[in-house]
Amino acid sequence: MSYSCALQKPILLQGHERSITQIKYNREGDLIFSVAKDTVANVWYSVNGERLGTYNGHTGALWCVDCDWDTKNVLTGSADNSCRLWDCETGKQLAMLNTSSAVRTCGFDFSGNIIMFSTDKQMGYQCFLNYFDLRDPQQIEDNQPYLTVPCAESKITSAVWGPLGEFVIAGHENGEINQFSAKSGEVLKKVKEHNKQINDIQTSVDLTMVITASKDCSSKLFDSTTLDHIKSFKTERPVNSAAISPIMDHVVMGGGQEAMEVTTTSTRIGKFEARFFHAAYEEEFGRVKGHFGPINCVAFHPDGKSYSSGGEDGYTRIHHFDPQYFDFELEA
Amino acid sequence: MHDTEDMPVDVDFDEEEPSFSDPEDFEDDVDDEELLGDLLREKPQEADGIDSVVVVDNVPQVGPERLEKLKNVIHKIFSKFGKITNEFYPTVDGPEGLTKGYIFLEYGAPTQALEAVKNADGYKLDKQHTFRVNVFTDFDKYMSISDEWETPEKQPFKDFGNMRHWMEDPDCRDQYSVIYESGERTAIFNNDAKDPIVSEERARWTETYVRWSPKGTYLATFHQRGIALWGGEKFKQIQRFSHQGVSLIDFSPCERYVVTFSPLMDTKEDPQAIIIWDILTGQKKRGFHCESSAHWPIFKWSHDGKFFARMTQDTLSIYETPSMGLLDKKSLKISGIKDFSWSPGDNIIAFWVPEDKDIPARVTLMQLPSRQEIRVRNLFNVVDCKLHWQRQGDYLCVKVDRTPKGTQGVVTNFEIFRMREKQVPVDVVEMKGDPESKTAQRIKFAVLHGESPRINASFYHVKNNEMFDKQQANSIFWSPQGQFMVLAGLRSMNGALAFVDTSDCTMMNMVEHYMASDVEWDPTGRYLVTSVSWWSHKVDNAYWLWTFQGRLLQKNNKDRFCQLLWRPRPATLLTQDSIKVIKKDLKKYSKIFEQKDRLSQSKASRELVDKRRSMMEDYRTYREAALQQHHEQKIARLQLRGGVDTDELDSNTDDWEEETIEFFINEEIIPLGE
Repeated sequence: MSYSCALQKPILLQGHERSITQIKYNREGDLIFSVAKDTVANVWYSVNGERLGTYNGHTGALWCVDCDWDTKNVLTGSADNSCRLWDCETGKQLAMLNTSSAVRTCGFDFSGNIIMFSTDKQMGYQCFLNYFDLRDPQQIEDNQPYLTVPCAESKITSAVWGPLGEFVIAGHENGEINQFSAKSGEVLKKVKEHNKQINDIQTSVDLTMVITASKDCSSKLFDSTTLDHIKSFKTERPVNSAAISPIMDHVVMGGGQEAMEVTTTSTRIGKFEARFFHAAYEEEFGRVKGHFGPINCVAFHPDGKSYSSGGEDGYTRIHHFDPQYFDFELEA
Repeated sequence: MHDTEDMPVDVDFDEEEPSFSDPEDFEDDVDDEELLGDLLREKPQEADGIDSVVVVDNVPQVGPERLEKLKNVIHKIFSKFGKITNEFYPTVDGPEGLTKGYIFLEYGAPTQALEAVKNADGYKLDKQHTFRVNVFTDFDKYMSISDEWETPEKQPFKDFGNMRHWMEDPDCRDQYSVIYESGERTAIFNNDAKDPIVSEERARWTETYVRWSPKGTYLATFHQRGIALWGGEKFKQIQRFSHQGVSLIDFSPCERYVVTFSPLMDTKEDPQAIIIWDILTGQKKRGFHCESSAHWPIFKWSHDGKFFARMTQDTLSIYETPSMGLLDKKSLKISGIKDFSWSPGDNIIAFWVPEDKDIPARVTLMQLPSRQEIRVRNLFNVVDCKLHWQRQGDYLCVKVDRTPKGTQGVVTNFEIFRMREKQVPVDVVEMKGDPESKTAQRIKFAVLHGESPRINASFYHVKNNEMFDKQQANSIFWSPQGQFMVLAGLRSMNGALAFVDTSDCTMMNMVEHYMASDVEWDPTGRYLVTSVSWWSHKVDNAYWLWTFQGRLLQKNNKDRFCQLLWRPRPATLLTQDSIKVIKKDLKKYSKIFEQKDRLSQSKASRELVDKRRSMMEDYRTYREAALQQHHEQKIARLQLRGGVDTDELDSNTDDWEEETIEFFINEEIIPLGE
C-alpha cells in the first residue's frame, strides 16, 4: 500500500523556537511564509530555504498568515489581539487592527483589496468575522470594519475566501461549514459533514474546491460554490491540515495529537507522517515521515512539484517529489 | 347573625310561593349509583369473606363440655396469623353431639388465611392429631376439575434455527466478536484473510462486554437486569437470565449451565450473589452466597459438567448436577487447602495443602465421585505451589517454590504427575538458570505446558534460554494447537511480539504492535489478533490480524475499539483415523484451496478496479462541470486583478522580467588526485 513519496532529502527551515501554526506559499511559489507560537513571522525562499526576512512586531503567538496575489502585502493574526498588515518586501508594518480577542484566521480576497479575519470566543467576547476594504484608508485608521458578523453558536476555527471574493467559507468548532457573504454577512450556505472541530480549510489552486481537515480524523473535499460534499478521506488520527495538489488528483494530510494529549512518550523518532490520498479513489497511497511531533500545517507548492509541512517541533520541511510520485498510479 | 326564623317577613313578597314538591306520579331518573355511588361500593358483597376462610381438618372431636377448651386452644394457635373474625365448629347430630373433626375459621383478610395455611398445615397438636389446613376456596377448585382430561396447550416450538450455523461456512471462516465505539456497538465478523466480513452488527447489544460459551454456541451479553444469550444463524435471543447488577459469568464446559455473579443480590435468608441457571430451560437452579469475587470463577467445573466445586476456608464443597446438591450431602473438610484444580480430561481434582507444624505440604489427586485419593505427594519447605494441567489431562505440572533448609533464597522446581501411567509416577525437574529471570522461568514452564506427549524430551533439550532472555516480554500465548507461541510485551512494553516455533526453538518473526493490550489466537491456531483496546489506551484503537508465523495480514481501525473475542469451536467430530487420512491427502486439498484463493483474489481486484473506475468517472464529471464554471468566471477574475491573467503560473509571461540571481544550494568537497 504505502510507500515513501519523497526520498530526496528535504530542505529544513529552522527559524522558529516553538510550534509552527501556519505556512503559506505565495501565488508564484517562490516564497514561503511561516508563523509560529514564538511571535515570529518568517518568509523564506522556497528554492533553497534561505530566509528572506522576519516581520517583527507581534507580542503574542501567531495563528495565521496570508499573502496577496501580487505578493505585495502580508497579513498576520495573533493572540496579542491584533491583525497586522505588512509590506512584503520591506517588512514594514503598514497597519495594526486591534481586536478584543485573539485573531484566529485571516486572508486576502481574490483581488487583494478586501481582508477578512475572525476573532476567538474569549474573555466574554464572542467570535466575530470582520471585513475591511483596504481601498478605504478611513476604515483602517478608525479600526472600523465595513462589516462585522457575529458567530454566536460555534466559533470559527479556520476560513478561506470564495473564488470571486463574494463570500468567505468558514469552518467552525462544531464541524459546521458556513458561507458568509462579504457584502451582507448573511449565511449563504451551510453544511455539517464533520462532527468535530474543523482544524483547517484550504482551497484548490483554481479555487473551485476546498478541503477541510477535522479533529474527527477525516478530511473532506467540497465544491466551493455549492458546498456539495465530493469526497472523504479517513484516518485514525485527528487531521490538523490538508491541501489539494495543483497538478495531480492527490491530497496531502498532516495530523496527530498535541503533545499534551499524548499520555505516553513515543519512543519512535520522527513518527508523525504526512499522508497522501488519491483524491478520486479516497485511498491512501503514500506517506512521508520526518517530523518529531504532530504536523500542524501542510501546503503544496503552486507548481505541484513539491510540498511543505510545518510541525509542532518548530521545523518546516520542504519536500520535492521523486519522479516516481508523478508516475504512480493505482490500478484502475 | 340572626336565625332566619326571627327574621321579619318581607312584606313585599306577595305572590304565592312556588311549589317545590314533585307531582304525584313523578318518578325520577336518577339511579342509586349516581346518588349513593360511594356508599354502594361499601355494600357487603355476598361472596366476600370466602377467600379469608380456612378449613382445619384432624381437629379432635369433643363433646360440648370440652368445646370451650378446644376453642381456646385453636384460638391460641390460629390467632397468630391474624384476627379471627368468625368460627364454626360443626357438630354431629345437633349441638349436643361431638364436633365433626373439622372446623371453619374466618380471618380479616385473605393474606392472613394464606399465612395460616402456610404455617399451620402439618402442625402436630398431639400424637393423634396433625392439622391439615386449607383455604376454603381450594375445595371449590379441586371439586370443579372436570372429569374429562384436557391435554395441556402445546407451547409453540421456539425454533432458533441451526445453532451451529457458523460452523457450516463453506470457507471455514472463524467468527469473532468486536466491541467498539466504547461499547456502543458490537459486531460479529467472519474472519477472512483479506478483509473481515460482517455477519451481524448491533447498537447497544451489551452494556459492558460479551462472552462466548466454551463451545461457541452462545454469545452472552451483559445488562443491568441480567444477561442474555444469543445464538443461531441470526443471533436471536435464546434465553434471558434475570440477575440484577450481574458483573461476572461463567459457563459449564458442556454448555448446559451458566453461573452468574452479582455483588448486589445477597441476603442472609436468600443468598443470590451467585446463581446457577439451566440454559435450555431458563430455570434458576440454585443460588449461593459469595463473599468476594476476587478469584472468579468461584465455582470450577469438571470437564463433563457433572460436578462443580468451590473452595472456602478449610473446605472443599463439591456439588453434582443436575440436582445442584452437595455430593454425598456434605463438604470435604481439608484443613488449610490453598488451591484446587479439575483435570481437563477426567473427573479428578488436584489440590494442595501447605505445611502444618510437623505435617509436610502435600499435593493430592482425588477421584470423583468416589472421593478416593489416587495419589498423594509430600513436599518439603514449600513456599508456594501452582497447579497446571496439560490440555488433555495427561499430565499435571505443579510448580513448587521452596526455601531449602539453611538457605535464604527461593528455589523452583516442577513436579510432573504422569496421569496415564499406573499409580501416577511423579518426575521432579529442577529449574536451571536464575530464578529471577521471569522470562526464563516462564519459557521452561510453557514448554512443559504445551507439548504432549514429548514433555520430557522437549524440556531437557531447551537450549536457547539466552536468546529468549533478551526479549521484552511479559506474557506468553500458546497456539491452541500447540507448537507455536507468541511472546508479547503488552501495555507498558510497547507491544513487542516474538513469534516462536517451539519444535526447534526458532524465532520466526519479531514485530511490533505499538501499545498492544491484548493477544488472541483463533481457535484453529492459524491466525493471531493483537489489539489496542480503548479501555487501556485512548488512541490508535485497532486490531491487527497476523498469520501464525508473524506475517501481518490486516490492520483494522475501529473507532474506540474495546474488545475482540474469537468464537470457540466445539470439539472436532472427526475420528483420529479420519484426521490421519486428511493429513495424508493434504497436498491434494492444498491445490484446490490455492486455486480457490487465487480466484477470489482476482475477483477482489476486479471488484476494486471496477469501484475505482466508477469513482474516477464521477469525479471527472464533477471536475468538468466545475472547470466549466471556472472558465465562465474568467472575465470577473480579470476584472478583480486589474486585467492581469493569473489563471496559469505562466499566463502572464509577457509581463515577466528575467533576472538571474545566484543562490547557494549545496557545498561539496571533492579531493583532487593524491
